Amino acid sequence: MIDTLKNSFARLRRSSFFAGFVLFIIALILNAALQGPASFFSIKSINTLFAKNAAFILVAIGQSLLLIAGTMDVSCGIQLALVNVVTIMTHQVWGIPFGLSCLLGIGAAVLASIAVWVCCSVFRLPALLASYAMTYVIRGVNVMIMSVPQGKVPREWYMAYDSQLFGLIPVSFFAVLGVLLICRFARKTPFGSHIYAVGGNPRNAFAAGISPVKVQLKAFLLKGVIVGIAGLCLTLMIAAGNPLQAEDYGIRSLSACILGGLGFGGWGSVASAVFGSGFFVLIQNSVYYFFSLLVRMIPGFSVSSYWQNFVSDVIIFLGLLMTIVTAKGRQEVLREGIVRQFKRIDYRKKPEGLDGKEAASHE
Amino acid sequence: MFELRGVDKRFDAVVALNNASLNVKPGEVHALLGSNGSGKSTMIKILAGLVNPNAGEILIDGSPVEIRNGYDSRKLGIATAFQDLSLIPTMSVRDNILLGNEPKNALGLVDQRASDEIISRLLERFQIDCDPDDYVQTLMPSTQTMLEVAKAVALKPRLLLLDEVTAALHYDEIQVLFSVMRELKEEGIAMVYVTHRMNEVFEVCDRTTIMRSGESVITGPMDDFSLDDIVYYMTGQRPDKSKKDVVHSHSDGGREIVLDVKNLSIFPKVHDISLRAHKGEIVGIGGLQGQGQPELIRAILGAIRYEEGEIIYDGEPSTFKLPSKAVKNGMGFISGERNREAVFPARTVLENILAGKVAKGKTFAYMPAKANRSFAQSAVDKYNIVIGSLNHPASSLSGGNQQKLVVARWIAMQPKLLLLDDPTRGVDIHSRLEIHEILKECANDGMTILISSSESEELLSLCDVIYVFYEGCVSAQLTGENKTPEKLVAAMMGMSEDHEIVSTMEAKA
Amino acid sequence: MNSTQSTLTLGQRSKLFMQNSPARMAFIIAIILYAVTVMISPGSFNASAIGSIVMLTLLLSIASAGQTIVLIGGGMDFGVGAVMSSAAILTTTIMNSQDGRFFPLLFAALSMGATVGLLNGICTVKIGLPPLIVTMAISNVITRMQYVLTQGSPMGYASPSFIKSVTSKLFGLQFLPSIILYGLIIIPLVFYLLNHSRFGKQVYLLGNNPVAARLNGVNINRVQILTYVFSGMFAAFAGMLGAAYMNAARCQIFDEYAYNSLIAVIIGGTSFSGGVGTYTGSIAGSLVMVVLSNLLTAMGLAQPTRNVFMGLIMIVLLILYNREKKVRQ
Repeated sequence: MIDTLKNSFARLRRSSFFAGFVLFIIALILNAALQGPASFFSIKSINTLFAKNAAFILVAIGQSLLLIAGTMDVSCGIQLALVNVVTIMTHQVWGIPFGLSCLLGIGAAVLASIAVWVCCSVFRLPALLASYAMTYVIRGVNVMIMSVPQGKVPREWYMAYDSQLFGLIPVSFFAVLGVLLICRFARKTPFGSHIYAVGGNPRNAFAAGISPVKVQLKAFLLKGVIVGIAGLCLTLMIAAGNPLQAEDYGIRSLSACILGGLGFGGWGSVASAVFGSGFFVLIQNSVYYFFSLLVRMIPGFSVSSYWQNFVSDVIIFLGLLMTIVTAKGRQEVLREGIVRQFKRIDYRKKPEGLDGKEAASHE
Repeated sequence: MFELRGVDKRFDAVVALNNASLNVKPGEVHALLGSNGSGKSTMIKILAGLVNPNAGEILIDGSPVEIRNGYDSRKLGIATAFQDLSLIPTMSVRDNILLGNEPKNALGLVDQRASDEIISRLLERFQIDCDPDDYVQTLMPSTQTMLEVAKAVALKPRLLLLDEVTAALHYDEIQVLFSVMRELKEEGIAMVYVTHRMNEVFEVCDRTTIMRSGESVITGPMDDFSLDDIVYYMTGQRPDKSKKDVVHSHSDGGREIVLDVKNLSIFPKVHDISLRAHKGEIVGIGGLQGQGQPELIRAILGAIRYEEGEIIYDGEPSTFKLPSKAVKNGMGFISGERNREAVFPARTVLENILAGKVAKGKTFAYMPAKANRSFAQSAVDKYNIVIGSLNHPASSLSGGNQQKLVVARWIAMQPKLLLLDDPTRGVDIHSRLEIHEILKECANDGMTILISSSESEELLSLCDVIYVFYEGCVSAQLTGENKTPEKLVAAMMGMSEDHEIVSTMEAKA
Repeated sequence: MNSTQSTLTLGQRSKLFMQNSPARMAFIIAIILYAVTVMISPGSFNASAIGSIVMLTLLLSIASAGQTIVLIGGGMDFGVGAVMSSAAILTTTIMNSQDGRFFPLLFAALSMGATVGLLNGICTVKIGLPPLIVTMAISNVITRMQYVLTQGSPMGYASPSFIKSVTSKLFGLQFLPSIILYGLIIIPLVFYLLNHSRFGKQVYLLGNNPVAARLNGVNINRVQILTYVFSGMFAAFAGMLGAAYMNAARCQIFDEYAYNSLIAVIIGGTSFSGGVGTYTGSIAGSLVMVVLSNLLTAMGLAQPTRNVFMGLIMIVLLILYNREKKVRQ
């Protein structure tokens, strides 16, 4: 029993997301302490946390797929706004049922993803810059579709989003869970290992008969669907349309993934994205409670929204600094692996050294 | 029957293949021989789908086929073990072996049980000792190479291409490989075997095709060739037995010690290495690939950290944390990995020669254009570097001239200690000899030279002392009488001196 | 070389010309774009319009000087805009419409730029993340700081003499704004740094092949950090001039210069992958950007269309200059 526990801890210790996991737990404890555990672990608070941040977590998951495949997309933030704008406007202008508008919204995200794929994989442009340029294009398109913030979501839709199943589990949680299950399934198909091969070394993947362009297309399509779902979560959460929101999700999701332990290409897992984005969410939450704690404790203390923004951007920056820790973790894993391999060879050599081939015996 | 006919390939200005041909029959091991840069690897890469030929055709059983990518190649029954490996280091052993060939179950998922069985049978057959879930990057270079071959064999190919796979293998691993190759031969599988080691060729190969500067010179059964014949077809010259290299040598007595390495350990490759270089001496480091030679040289330069031991340079313990510090203190470094570590391809010839001068000195100092030009021009003249103009990019030069450029860059700086890591890799024989002459001259003028090389010939003709590395330790130190090809090769393979070995000779460049 | 060129088709030849002499190409594009503008609205062809083109081109050239150095060194600086805005705010706050405060301001602005550059440099080098992400995160922090420190509305104006030194007309000629005098100091300085000092040569080596540069004895971390420091300082100086041009400042006033300077430098033929590029090209690229912006205005395009346009230009430029190698050779 203890042995299996020990073993599973050793496995966790070696996993690529270990550093991200530790950071996540630290943020969780910090948040719970600042907010008061009773309040933090209440159904209402967890519901709000999920409802507000499901979109961000989903975007990070989508981003992680691309990172594994050796590419990336910083325009997926503004793609959320695209989904939002398309969903609201098709419902408002064409008068089609809201459910259909939602599907169109997801379709828009998939189209945008394909456009980025064409730039990054087909034209072989540097992914970071090409997708940054796409941010401009999509932003323009958004404003063309919806010039000023407007529109609303049918009441029953956003009420449903904000409710809990069985009075316990928030609906937004199911969106995240569903996407995670899809990723889990995909990991077990051949695609799940091809994506790592293409990200880890495209030339060698190509030599093994895998087409990097096709595998990246699949990753982009999957990411498009995930961003579409994320965009719907965002739309149902704010229950209105805004063409210029969530742009910073692109870069922030990237930082979250890297913070969670993903490398650029072929290293890490979707779990990294979950822990990394979870860390961001909880830390930002903590900042809010930290400030309200200050307000309560110091009479006459007040905070402008400028300060809150400032602190949250400082935290994103500090989060990037933290990636040094994750990079260290990665080196540590590599080193341990080599040491284990050495031990194995030594172990093999000593008892069987006598019947080993003549060459091995020479010192 | 697999056939390549009249294949041409140019990389920009460089002609890699010129009307080359190859035909391989089922159930034979076909040796593809040639010196560095003669186009062997390009041939292999064409069959593997990695290189697109400019002209020529590929025939299988008499009918022309097209190989546009790795997938086509695999589908036609061709599997390749590459010299620079096609494993993905960040993936597990299991995923690597199955890559692109995963057994699937009804749901479209990877069938775990079937794959476990494939893996364990394969590891057993090749006697590879590793956990299938380990990342490939944690394995020893020789184990990785075995895995590369195993992965190719796992595809059950009709044609197996082995591109210099034994370069990093140990003696017992080579024996395992050969026994597998003999089994495959029985099964009627065709194999192309590229190597530099002549004794292996005579041991396992049935026929051979010899290449010289991109052309296939001759094809025939192995029995028709002697070693001398092969060298003749590869180089175009009969090996001259009577001519002995004039070995540059002198006594160590009283000479000052420039470099003294004591009990150095570098994780994970190097354990407890000691060596010593005197002023004006050429010290060689030999050994198979991946025995810790590059690591040692980089540790001396301050480019990587070492765990234990001491490096005494110029009478003082060196604590260089960066190459820039080492260079300031009179070291120079020439790497054979031209593209990655030495040449600035987009910059001009002038800037490339000047790079040593650029590295040393006050950061914001003025560098007069005229002085730069004359400095570069004199280096070009002195070392016979063939260039179009000083203003052409370095990428416009041939490989040999690029390497001379790098050598000239450092010789012109007159370093106290010059470190060279396999400096003549992929360099044509003419340039190689010129580089050797330059180095000998410098040593006579009092420069200390530490050179690592994968070519035994180079070490034997150039060095005063040869330290041979095996698994990160010094397995032999050869000087004077002891500097024979036999002893060098034996030490490289980790064999004791009394062990009987076939008269072995590395391919003459 | 010449013999092969003669056999090329026109398309191949023009592609070669574009890739080999991007600076000249950019000047030609700028002239064509300007001609189109004049055709669309003939009224825009006059001395004062040309003067404003000169003014904006110089401003963008000075802002992109640092960007050029950073890009050649293999990095990227997205903090240019934020530093310019901050320097502009510093200018109006410190000067507060009073003369005689130029040198304290210069000192304050340059040290602010250098500090931000240092932070950018150290973080990119140490974190090992793409510079775009790191510099963007830092520039966000700086932008937020502008709001925190000014409560969202910066005070004051640049001093009258400073404004005059930037905007008055030399010899009374409408098309010669006096910002040219500042340009005469900055541009030669950049040329010295990039082309004639050891530092510049180290930057080129670093950008072309960082591994080789390091093993060759270049202290690559130090050089890389220095490129960001210069970028910060040039951006700060450009921000001061910009404040004089605009009179007053607000938060984020010059933020778009981050993206614009990047595109200007790329149009000028400097490569994203580092090691290739010239400052002449960046000046030409700045001219293209300014003339293009005029043209879009003349065509009466709205903001969203301009956004799409700017994004597409970047992608076209990437396709022209920065495609990665094919896997199969």
